[in-house]
Amino acid sequence: MKYLPLIWSGIWRKPGRTILIFLQVSVAFVLFGVLQGMKTGIEHAVQAARPDLLIVHSRQDFIFSGLPLGLLEHLRSVPGVKLVEPVELFGSYYQKPENGMLIIAVRPDRNWTDAFTFNIAPEQVAAFAKSRTAALVTEYAAQKYGWKIGDHIPLVSQVVSKEGSTTWAFDLVGTFTDSDFTPGRYKILVNYDYYDQARVSNTATVNHFNVAVADANQAVSVADAIDRLSLNSSHETKTESIRELAQQQVQQIGDLDFLVHAVVGAVLAALLFGTATMMMQSVRERTPELAVLKTIGFTDHAVFLLVLVEAVVVCIAAAACGLALSTAVFPFAARIVFGLAMPPVTVVVGLALAVALAVVSAALPALRAARLRVVSALADH
Amino acid sequence: MHFLRQFLALLRMNLASERARLGSVLTIFIGVTCTVTVLVSMLAMGTGARQQADGDVHDDEAIVQAQGAEGFDSNISRDQMVTLRDLPGIDRDKDGDPRVAGIVFVPFEGHRRGTGRRVFFPLIGSSDVKFELRPPAHLTEGRLFRPGLHEMIATNACVGQFDGFELGARRAVRGVDWTVVGHYDQGQSLQCVVLTDAETVMSLFNRNSFNRINVRLRAPSDFAAFNRALEANPALKLEAKPARQQAEADMKQFNGLLNFVSYFIGSIMAIGATFGAVNSLYSIVDARRRELATLRAIGFGSGAVMAATLFESILLAVPGAVLGTVLAWLLFHRMAVSPFGFSFRLDVTPHLAEIGIVWALSMGLIGGFLPALRAGRVSVTAALRAT
Repeated sequence: MKYLPLIWSGIWRKPGRTILIFLQVSVAFVLFGVLQGMKTGIEHAVQAARPDLLIVHSRQDFIFSGLPLGLLEHLRSVPGVKLVEPVELFGSYYQKPENGMLIIAVRPDRNWTDAFTFNIAPEQVAAFAKSRTAALVTEYAAQKYGWKIGDHIPLVSQVVSKEGSTTWAFDLVGTFTDSDFTPGRYKILVNYDYYDQARVSNTATVNHFNVAVADANQAVSVADAIDRLSLNSSHETKTESIRELAQQQVQQIGDLDFLVHAVVGAVLAALLFGTATMMMQSVRERTPELAVLKTIGFTDHAVFLLVLVEAVVVCIAAAACGLALSTAVFPFAARIVFGLAMPPVTVVVGLALAVALAVVSAALPALRAARLRVVSALADH
Repeated sequence: MHFLRQFLALLRMNLASERARLGSVLTIFIGVTCTVTVLVSMLAMGTGARQQADGDVHDDEAIVQAQGAEGFDSNISRDQMVTLRDLPGIDRDKDGDPRVAGIVFVPFEGHRRGTGRRVFFPLIGSSDVKFELRPPAHLTEGRLFRPGLHEMIATNACVGQFDGFELGARRAVRGVDWTVVGHYDQGQSLQCVVLTDAETVMSLFNRNSFNRINVRLRAPSDFAAFNRALEANPALKLEAKPARQQAEADMKQFNGLLNFVSYFIGSIMAIGATFGAVNSLYSIVDARRRELATLRAIGFGSGAVMAATLFESILLAVPGAVLGTVLAWLLFHRMAVSPFGFSFRLDVTPHLAEIGIVWALSMGLIGGFLPALRAGRVSVTAALRAT
C-alpha cells in the first residue's frame, strides 16, 4: 500500500504519454467489446432459444407452400405434445410497397401464447381472442407508424379476399414484442379463422404448426414421431426446434468467428507493440530515478513489480473505460442482430486480456529496470 | 524558396535520424499496417459481392415483376405474360418470337459439402432456357433438361458447394425424383443456381403464375419505350427495371451492411493507431529538442520545422499503407467466402488500395499535427540549457 504514491507518480511522470496510451488502449477495447460482445451475444441468444418449441413445416418448401390444417388433430395425438397451434404467413404492406408487414395468422385458443415467443400483456391477449378482426402489432411497427389501440389498419397483400379485394383491414387491440432473434420488426398477428374463411384460395392450409412439447429433453423424439406421421404422403413434414433453426441462421452469417478473431488479433498485435515500445522508452528515460530507488534500498524484485504494476493499472483503467464505452454503443452496433445485449462475460474476458497485455508489454522493460546496475546507471547521466 | 530549402534540409535530417528511433517508427508502421490490412480486406468483401452481382448482367435485359412485390411475393398471370410479349422494344429471334422468359421460383434445399449445413436457395423454372444460357453463360457438361421430365441443370458452383449435384444425381422435390442432367457456368458468379423448365415446376406445384419475367430488349436504350408501354397499360399492373438496376437493388442492403461494418471497424482501428502514432512522434520530437533548438538558433524558421515534422509523420505512414494493402491482396484477394447465403470472391481493387493509402496518409496527417506544433514551439534557450 505504501508504494501506491510511488506508482501513481510514475504513471503521471509524463501525463501526455500516459493519456495517449490510455486512449489507444481504450479505443482498442471499444472495438474488442463490440466485436467479441456480438459474437458471444449471438451464441447466448442461440442458447436461449427455446428447445421445447418445435416448428413443423413442409419438407419440400419451407417458405412457399404449406400444410393442410387437417394435420392439426394428428399432431395433437402425438405423445409428448402439449400444444399445437396453426400458423399462416403472408406478406403485405402498409400504404407503400416499401412498408412491408408480415401478417401472421394464429388461432387465439386457450394458452396459445405458450407455443410462441411473443410477449403480450394478458388483457391484450384476451382482447385479441374476443374479436375476429382484432390484431396485435410489434411495438416497433406501432411506434414507427404511430398506431394506437382502436386504430383500423388497412394492409395491401397479394391474397384475394372473398369480396374480391386485396386490402385487408384489422382493428388494433395491442402490441407485442418477440423474444426470438429472427429478423423482422414489422409483424402483425391476426385471427387465423377469420382470415382463412375470408380468402378465396388455399383455404384450410397453414404455413407451419408451432408445437410446444411437455418435456424439452424429449423434443427430438417428439419431432421424429411427428415427421413419421406424414412419411411418404404428399405433404411430408420436417420438424425442428427454434433453437435448431436459430443455429442454422447463425451458420448462414458465415465465418463470423474468423472475422472477429482476425480483427481482434490485428488490433491487439498493434496495441501490444505500441505499449511495449512506450514502456521501454519510459524505463530508459527513468534510468537515473530507478537507480536512486535501488540505492535507497529497493530490491530488484520491488523495482520489477513497480514497473509492471504501473502498466497493469493504466491498461486495466483504459480497458474498463473502453469496455464501458462499447457497452454504451452496443445497442447501435447490434442493430445487425435484433435485440442483442452485451454479455458480462465479454467484459471479464476483456479485463483479463488487458492484464495480459500489460504484463507482456511491460515484462521486458521491467526486467531491464530490475537488472539495472546502480553504478553504471548513475554514471551514464 | 528560403522556406522550401529549410524544409527539405530538415526533412532529410529527420528521416536520416529515424534509424535511432526504431521502436517509435515500428509502432507507427505496425499500427498503420494492421489498420489498412483490415480496412482494405473488409471493403474487398463489398466490392467482390457487388462485382459478382454486376458482372453477369446484360444491359439490354429488363426484369418485370408485379407492382410492389418482389421475389416470391410477385405473381404474374399467363394472360399478363401474353399481353407483355407484344409490347414495343422487345428483341425477337429469327422466327419472330419475342425474347421473353417467364420465371418461377420454388424454394429448394441444399446441404453444404462437408458441414452438411442446410441452405435454402431458389429452384428456378424458366419458360425459355436459351434466355438463361445466353453467353457468357454456357453448358459445360451433360445436356439441357427436357420439358415435362423432371430434369434440372445446375451451375458448377453448386457441385463445389453442395452435396448431390453431380451429373445423374437424383433430388426429391415435392415427393418427385428429379435428375441433374447438366452443368453450366454463369460467367463469373460463384452463386449456386439450379435451372429447370417453368411448366414442369408450375404443374408440380399447382401454380398458374410466374414470379417474374425476364425481357431482352433490342438495345438498352429501348427500355424507356418498353417501360412507357408497360405503364400505359393499367390492366397489367406490372413494373419493369433494367436488369442492372435490379441487380444493384438486390445487393444494396447487403452492400450497405458490409460497408458500414468495414468503415466502423476501420475508423476505430485508425483512431487507436493514430493515438499510438502521436505518442511515437512526441517521443521522436522530444529526442530531437536540442538539434531543433540549435537549428532554430542558426536561423531556421519555426514554420519550416513544423512543416517538416508534419510531412515526416505523413511519410512514416506510407510503408504501413503499402504493406497493409499488399497483405490484404496476398491474404484475401480472390478468396471465396459465403456470408449470409451469398457466395462470392473478395476483390482487392486498385480503388480499394487508393482508399487504404488515403486512409493511412490521413492518419499520418492528423497524428502529426500536435507533435509538429510542439516541434515548432521548442524554446531555443530552454532546450539548449537542458542537460
